[in-house]
Amino acid sequence: MEGFPLISLSMILPLLGSLVMVFLREEFSKWVALLFSGLVFVLSLLSLPFFDFSNAHKVQFEEKYPLISELNLSLHLGFDGLSYIMYILTTLVSLVAIVWSIRDHQINHRLKEYYVWFLLTETFLVGVFASLDLMVFYVFYELTLVPMFFVIGIWGYKLRMYSAYKFFIYIFVSSLFLLLGIVSLAVQHYKQFGKFSFNYFDLLNNSYSLEFEVFMFVLFLIAFAVKTPIVPFHTWLPDAHGEAPTAGSVVLAAVLLKMGTYALLRFNIGLFPEASVFLMPIMVLWGIFTIVFASWFTISQSNVKRFVAYSSVSHMGFVVAGMFLLNSEGLRASITEMFAHGLTSSALFMMAGFIYNRLHSFNMQALRGSIKFMPLFAVLVAITGFSSMGLPGGSSFWGKFLTVVGAREYTLLLAFLVVVGAFFSAVYVLYLLKTLYLDTKEESRLIHFTDLRGFKLLAFLLVVLPMLMVGFLPFLFFAFYDPYINALLNYLLLKVGG
Amino acid sequence: MEQIIKLEFPNLWLLLPEMAVLLTGFTLFTLDLLYKRLNHALAISVSIVGYLIALLLLLFNWNLQGETFYGLYHRDSFSNLMQAFMIALTMLLLGFSYSYYKHRKSLYGEFYYILNFALAGGMFLVSSYNLIVLYVALEAVSISFYILTALLRSDFNSKEGAFKYLMLGGLSIALASYGAGFMYLYSGSLDLRYILTHIGENKYFLVLGLVLFLIGFAIKIGAVPFHFWLPDAYQGAPTPITAYMASVGKLAFFAPVVRLMPYVQEHFAHAWVITVSVISALTMLYGNLTALVQKDVKRLLAYSSIAHSGYIMAGIAVAEVIGLKAVLYFLLAYSLMGFGSFMVLALLERAPEWENKLEQFSGMRFYLPWLAFSFMVMLLALLGVPPTVGFVGKALVFMSLSFGSLWWLAIVMIVATGISTGYYLRITALMFMKDSNRGRELSVSNLEKFLIVLLVVSVVLLGAVPIILWNFVSFSAENLFMR
Repeated sequence: MEGFPLISLSMILPLLGSLVMVFLREEFSKWVALLFSGLVFVLSLLSLPFFDFSNAHKVQFEEKYPLISELNLSLHLGFDGLSYIMYILTTLVSLVAIVWSIRDHQINHRLKEYYVWFLLTETFLVGVFASLDLMVFYVFYELTLVPMFFVIGIWGYKLRMYSAYKFFIYIFVSSLFLLLGIVSLAVQHYKQFGKFSFNYFDLLNNSYSLEFEVFMFVLFLIAFAVKTPIVPFHTWLPDAHGEAPTAGSVVLAAVLLKMGTYALLRFNIGLFPEASVFLMPIMVLWGIFTIVFASWFTISQSNVKRFVAYSSVSHMGFVVAGMFLLNSEGLRASITEMFAHGLTSSALFMMAGFIYNRLHSFNMQALRGSIKFMPLFAVLVAITGFSSMGLPGGSSFWGKFLTVVGAREYTLLLAFLVVVGAFFSAVYVLYLLKTLYLDTKEESRLIHFTDLRGFKLLAFLLVVLPMLMVGFLPFLFFAFYDPYINALLNYLLLKVGG
Repeated sequence: MEQIIKLEFPNLWLLLPEMAVLLTGFTLFTLDLLYKRLNHALAISVSIVGYLIALLLLLFNWNLQGETFYGLYHRDSFSNLMQAFMIALTMLLLGFSYSYYKHRKSLYGEFYYILNFALAGGMFLVSSYNLIVLYVALEAVSISFYILTALLRSDFNSKEGAFKYLMLGGLSIALASYGAGFMYLYSGSLDLRYILTHIGENKYFLVLGLVLFLIGFAIKIGAVPFHFWLPDAYQGAPTPITAYMASVGKLAFFAPVVRLMPYVQEHFAHAWVITVSVISALTMLYGNLTALVQKDVKRLLAYSSIAHSGYIMAGIAVAEVIGLKAVLYFLLAYSLMGFGSFMVLALLERAPEWENKLEQFSGMRFYLPWLAFSFMVMLLALLGVPPTVGFVGKALVFMSLSFGSLWWLAIVMIVATGISTGYYLRITALMFMKDSNRGRELSVSNLEKFLIVLLVVSVVLLGAVPIILWNFVSFSAENLFMR
């Protein structure tokens, strides 16, 4: 596989797909989208044997195309263990989103545009996770906004335009701080080494005073705290996720949020080790605060989509808290949770969308007991719910359990705080499951519902099976990023010294 | 420093593009005199041929640089770059103008040669350090713009805008020439380079002179608080002329200020940074806030043009090479985006009952998909979404602000851009997300379609592959700083 342009191929294939779609008739567009996103997913799976897991902290599948040599700006793409697993998540979720859309009643007009936007999103997301050049990363990071803006605004539910605006403005304005941070790093490189550079590995050599480093950390954090999101910067999310069409919510929750946490891990911790260690207590407590508050917000929702959206925020709290514990359990927990949440949130949004197709309501009251007569669907939702709750064997278990273990390495009190957070996040899932399975008075209106089948079943299985894999065979996934975590911790030790 | 003038015959080769443009102008003038009813096809062909020759002369003699007319005229890579853009944009304008003026029943022969004199004035303005030449060139551009603005003779707004422009423009030129007088008093020279490096006795004359001179230009580029003419003139002017003022006009009026940048370090490094950055912050905030409440899209884009002057000035505040590069890139970027967005309006104005109102853009995607898409690209470029040319400009300005450690201005710029998101996004959303209640008939010739697509492609291409323009910009900026 040496020299095989895996990454650019995975970025070009969706582009090619959208180009093909433009010239075909409208009714073919869904099949073209399915074909091309499927191809990319297969490609990502086929690349697995060629990834050197023992050297997962090193960049592999590297490609470099210079853009402006004077500024040392290049389209520098490559995967290490962390970005590789995010890449697989991206290709998987993009496929799931398109498979789901094929039979989604909400998607009944302007099909061509719809699938073009989804394929473009896939290209940009692969670009985000593969970029090793900060400016190129920023370009892709911003580009993911445009398709999602249109997906929410055109195919969303009632408040779609408002939500689309809010989504775009929040993310766009916050990411301008990131842009300022990125160019400042390049300028610092110039002041220290005599030439500009946007390359991640060049920027690692920069050294700053602590004040400046914290300032840069904050500039980056503003962007990623909104994207992740961390309470109180989360207010765009329930609107965007709540009003987007199902497939849009799936991509938003499963991958777009991961851009924030991925970037926090790679850039904030990687580029500003001293500031990270300095701000560690604040960030961990902030993460726990997010878990608890978002869980409370979740329980009080009456709209099931907003319910799932808020639950995403609380999961992101685990990711942030675990990441900033800065020990191997915490980081492991954080990355596992990123992947696991990608799967569970997709399944939960698909569940909401599926019930909406049957009941035409997102109201928690209206859908009481609604899945009683759909056995297959009920089983899959149960697996998802328990996975999301963090039951042993469920995918989120490792995220939560390892966070507790990581926190215990500092103090018992911190571990206790995480457990409290985990408790509240279990409460809302139980509440959701209770509503879906148990409460009902009028069974007659539910009895003729048809069960999950066809493409929608396929979409569900595509996320539920990996969910079980994460739950029961977590070491398969640890293999991706353990070398990366060790390398990162060694680097932190080197820079900060204990 | 004693200036010795060698009396040798000036090197006219350096002036070939200008001569080609002026010759075209006189030809057009004569044609207009000779024919009672000017054949517009003929006038347009003559102009295009003339400009094409000028452009080719410029491109083929790219390396022919230097001074002529005893230092009055200065051709370097900066002026070449600016002139190439100006000529190209003028040619693009001619592709749109005929059908617009025909629709407004305002086809006049003088349009062609006045446009030509504006271009010639602009070409002189970007390539001199001499106060007298700058003054004459400034007058040439400005007077042409007053007339071009008023050239919808039956339209009240057009004349009102032109009159406001005339009043404030006249004031600006008076101030600039008064300032030039003080600078001459200080140094005994008319050459800006000499004035700014001269160590004289009364520094107050220099400061006063420079401030007055710069206020003159601040009025021209629409910097707050000297911007009052701009929205009215932009709105009143025939839309192709608005596009022309926002592109070629901006390039021309910014050029002398840009040429000052390498010379301010010695005497006023500090004062320059403070003054320019405060004006820049005011300009971008005011422009964007006012644009946010506009209901008329043409006026909205005029305010957005003010805001962009603010962004460009943020780069000027950092009087370093990187700042100059940012300014140059952003100027050229804005000339494309501004031209393109106003041109879309110029096309739309031909639709029946079209008044440029915001709500009229609803559902444009359904009846004019290609134009809606083009306008979206232009708006996102103005907003600074990658990979468009506007994004590169903004990133470079951020970079120079970071270089000069002007953090507060960078934060102001983020806020200003955040405000601008509101109105650019609103138009985009209206075009693509609202359903239209009715379609509109609009006949657009293939040439116009091609030109709009060309603009869109160049806006995206120069953003996605910035190296195309970057090398020229970078070289010109370093060249200017080498002194």
